Amino acid sequence: MKPMILHGHERSITQIRYNREGDLLFSSSKDHTPNVWYSLNGERLGTFDGHQGAIWSIDVNWDTTRFMSGAADRCLRLWDCATGKEIGKINTDTSVRTCMFSYSANMAVYSTDTQLGHRCEMVIIDVRNADDSIENAPPIMKIPVSDSKITSLLWGPLDETVVTGHEKGEINQWDIRVGKKLNTVNDHKYAIADMQLNKDGTMFITASKDNTAKLFDIETLALLKCYKTERPVNSAAISPIYDHVVLGGGQEAMDVTTTSTRVGKFDSRFFHLIFEEEFGRVKGHFGPINSVAFHPDGKSYSSGGEDGYVRVHNFDPAYFDFNFDCQ
Amino acid sequence: MAKKKDAEKAAQNAEAKKEKNENAEDEEPNFDDPEGYVDDISDEELLSDLLKSKPRETDGVESVVVVDGIPLVGPERIEKLSSVISKIFSKFGTIVNEYYPKTDDGHTKGYIFLEYANPKHALEAVKMTNNYKLDKQHTFLVNLFTDFKKYEDISDNWEPPEPMPYKDQGNLHYYMLEPDSYDQYFIIMNNENTAQIWLNSAPEPTKLEERPRWSDSFVQWSPLGSYISTLHKKGVALWGGPEFSQIMRFSHNGVQFVDFSPCEKYLVTYSPQAENHSADQKKLIVWDIRTGLEKRTFTPDGPGIWPIFRWSHDDRYFARLGLDVLSVYETPSFGLLDKKSIKIPGIRDFSWSPTDNVLAYWVAEDKNVPARVTLLEIPSRNEIRAKNLFNVADCKIHWQKCGDYLCVNVNRYTKITKKDKEIKYTGMYYNFEIFHMREKQIPVDSVEIKETIHAFAWEPVGSKFAIIHGEAGNVNVSFYGVKTGQAPALLKRFEKKVCNSLHWAPSGQFIVLAGMRNMGGALEFVDTNDFVIMNSTEHYSASILSWDPTGRYVVTAVSYWKVKVDTGYWLWSFQGKILKRFNIESFCTLSWRPRLPTLLSAKQQSEIKKNLKKYSTQFESKDRMRMSKASKELIEKRSKLLKEFQEYRAKQIERWMEQKTQRMALRNNIDTDELDSDTKNVEEETVEFLVKQETTVIE
Repeated sequence: MKPMILHGHERSITQIRYNREGDLLFSSSKDHTPNVWYSLNGERLGTFDGHQGAIWSIDVNWDTTRFMSGAADRCLRLWDCATGKEIGKINTDTSVRTCMFSYSANMAVYSTDTQLGHRCEMVIIDVRNADDSIENAPPIMKIPVSDSKITSLLWGPLDETVVTGHEKGEINQWDIRVGKKLNTVNDHKYAIADMQLNKDGTMFITASKDNTAKLFDIETLALLKCYKTERPVNSAAISPIYDHVVLGGGQEAMDVTTTSTRVGKFDSRFFHLIFEEEFGRVKGHFGPINSVAFHPDGKSYSSGGEDGYVRVHNFDPAYFDFNFDCQ
Repeated sequence: MAKKKDAEKAAQNAEAKKEKNENAEDEEPNFDDPEGYVDDISDEELLSDLLKSKPRETDGVESVVVVDGIPLVGPERIEKLSSVISKIFSKFGTIVNEYYPKTDDGHTKGYIFLEYANPKHALEAVKMTNNYKLDKQHTFLVNLFTDFKKYEDISDNWEPPEPMPYKDQGNLHYYMLEPDSYDQYFIIMNNENTAQIWLNSAPEPTKLEERPRWSDSFVQWSPLGSYISTLHKKGVALWGGPEFSQIMRFSHNGVQFVDFSPCEKYLVTYSPQAENHSADQKKLIVWDIRTGLEKRTFTPDGPGIWPIFRWSHDDRYFARLGLDVLSVYETPSFGLLDKKSIKIPGIRDFSWSPTDNVLAYWVAEDKNVPARVTLLEIPSRNEIRAKNLFNVADCKIHWQKCGDYLCVNVNRYTKITKKDKEIKYTGMYYNFEIFHMREKQIPVDSVEIKETIHAFAWEPVGSKFAIIHGEAGNVNVSFYGVKTGQAPALLKRFEKKVCNSLHWAPSGQFIVLAGMRNMGGALEFVDTNDFVIMNSTEHYSASILSWDPTGRYVVTAVSYWKVKVDTGYWLWSFQGKILKRFNIESFCTLSWRPRLPTLLSAKQQSEIKKNLKKYSTQFESKDRMRMSKASKELIEKRSKLLKEFQEYRAKQIERWMEQKTQRMALRNNIDTDELDSDTKNVEEETVEFLVKQETTVIE
């Protein structure tokens, strides 16, 4: 499995996302410019120029017309996907840590950091008519989050709820129609770095600094499965076609004392979704993996690392032939 | 006497007074008792407080000891005797009085009385000199004088104490009865100092026991595996049996070190900081394990290297190294062998043979006297072999486990420079002196290696030894074979290896060459019959490697004491096949439970080896059954998980399907549930891109 290596960023990758069809791959990094690539051949389609800080989070809407990015320069920007032009900008008090379009893409949610005396906030905005006026348009809902800041978030089914993962490992479910917390679970010990939905959006996988990734039900927040490793997990994704999950992570860059990649364990690790057994590893990055994503057709996956590279892997035939014995 | 004198004195005083009174009748009133007065008030009533301190006849008796077993000597030698006696007994305090009862012709009667200045000294003297052996015929029996009264007063209806009922400890070697010879091991975690005991069963090890905070410091197996010992502030506890219940306790405040004798008869405990608690605290105690009784205490002089005592293989002797002296003690009397330490000027180190009562020691070079390695037979103290060595910087003594060979690794120099008391050796080279213990007169062979030596190891059973030598970056491993009447022959040399330690299988033949810690945990499993490297692998940053007692498995481990990440232990087959990885947070150490030596004779063992094929088929079929059972269990477990999950998913999908119209509504009634479910809005686009550029030159 020889990967395609996308080298367009100058600093560590923070997030990668495919669009719904999977023909495009978006990537953001601590440099100030999100990129978009053809996932098929790794050719760069364009960049989104304008931010003046590290990009923490990106998203693309379901029909690939709009792109959104939240950054450390204290703003959330909306872009036109086709042209790469900025169409709207919302200034915030602190860095934007997470952002996501709702299922319909009529709304979006973003959250800000606890910083400079400001509390973490979760904000729901209407993005139907995104233009210059959006900056001053009142948000649909603004929910202050007091104790532990949001580090990842997801929309629940039918644009009714938002699920947030926090710095201290708790997961909250919010009813955004009334702005109330519906449910909370504490199944992780440390920060939840990433959360991703499965194909039909009924389950999600968390990636936590407590060295585990876990599978939850999106409606009940019931813990379904747990995938254990020896290193912090920064990102996890569920295969759209098989009962497989992929985990990316590794020893924190700041904790790496030796240059040996052996110690860091910067591998993508494949687990069986149901049996929780590890069945494969993909080496390559020479720093921790910060983001992983499955192609919507399940035939390839990508990983973005602290080393600044995005690696696009097309699975070998052996991957499709592989079967767990279970009868 | 005193009383009488007082009475007389009183009478005299009375007389004197009378005279005085007569002289000056008017001046003083008469205090005399009137005539016929009867004194009906006793002294006790008047002066009971003073009478308490009135001297008594028996005062000082507590300070008297009676020594029996003194040689019978004539008057001419009494002086000599008394000088010997006072030399022994004045160690405990000043002797204020001594009395030698004599017969009419002036011969001593074989017992004497000694009075100390202080009863404490008398007590000390009794404790230390009772059963003191003066010579072969004479053993002192020392008692306090007051004890005679104590024992005289024993009442007639005294009953001998009931003997303690025999307590059956059960079979402490129950683990040897495990039908598949699975071995036990314990692991320690830093987390609450938790100890776990595991059985290395196939295909998955089984946890037998888990105890948080079992020990305040370390845990160790006894040498034969009967007990597991734990250390506590107040002492040592031994545990055993299938339940790991407490077998015995040894109370010793502040104990920090424990050592067993090889046959598990005795236990040595050492509390180096005992002085901090109280002056007469014992520091080093030898105990009887079965009874739990203290056998003897010692005060170690100077910082000793643990173990301070080294035991002979049969528990009959133990020895310790002193300055220019080797002290050998015998059991069960716990006295010095022949009551004398062995004077060996310049002795540097010694080591007991693992199978015979022979010890090897070496003496450093001194001016013109060469260094010397000597084999000493105990208890006869016969020097059975000695070898002189020149230009010696250091020696290390390595016994082969079967006691067949002894190797003395001699570090030699070509030049010595002394500067400010610092001795510097240059031009080092290394000799291995091989002593053939089982041959007549013990011939010695020598192997010389010019390069730095990193490790040496005997094959535990067999006649090979391995050496790691060479400079950094060019490290070689050499194997030598020893044969009767021949110099050791080089069997094989592996060049440029990454290793710093040698680990032979307990029954020989197989060896693991390991590059521990900073060498990255490189492992090479070698069969020394044909010197085939069976596997080269690694366990990154491993610092522990240990063979199970049967030689079937190897464990490598990364200890939390050394590094903080990826701690845990890995289990390998003897061929270097990875069997199981246990990655455990804060894992500290692992230790296999020792096994008793085999009861089979050498002949029976070789018989089994010969017929190994016959047995191996049995074991293979057993293994296959176990494996198929395990894989069956795994498949069952998986299919159960799968079934449960499918049930859950079925409900989810049902709900998801119900929401389909709502979902469609949110996305302009476009079906996006599947990648290809929306056909209306899809535009097929053909993208062409360059795959390869090739230039072909046409003629």
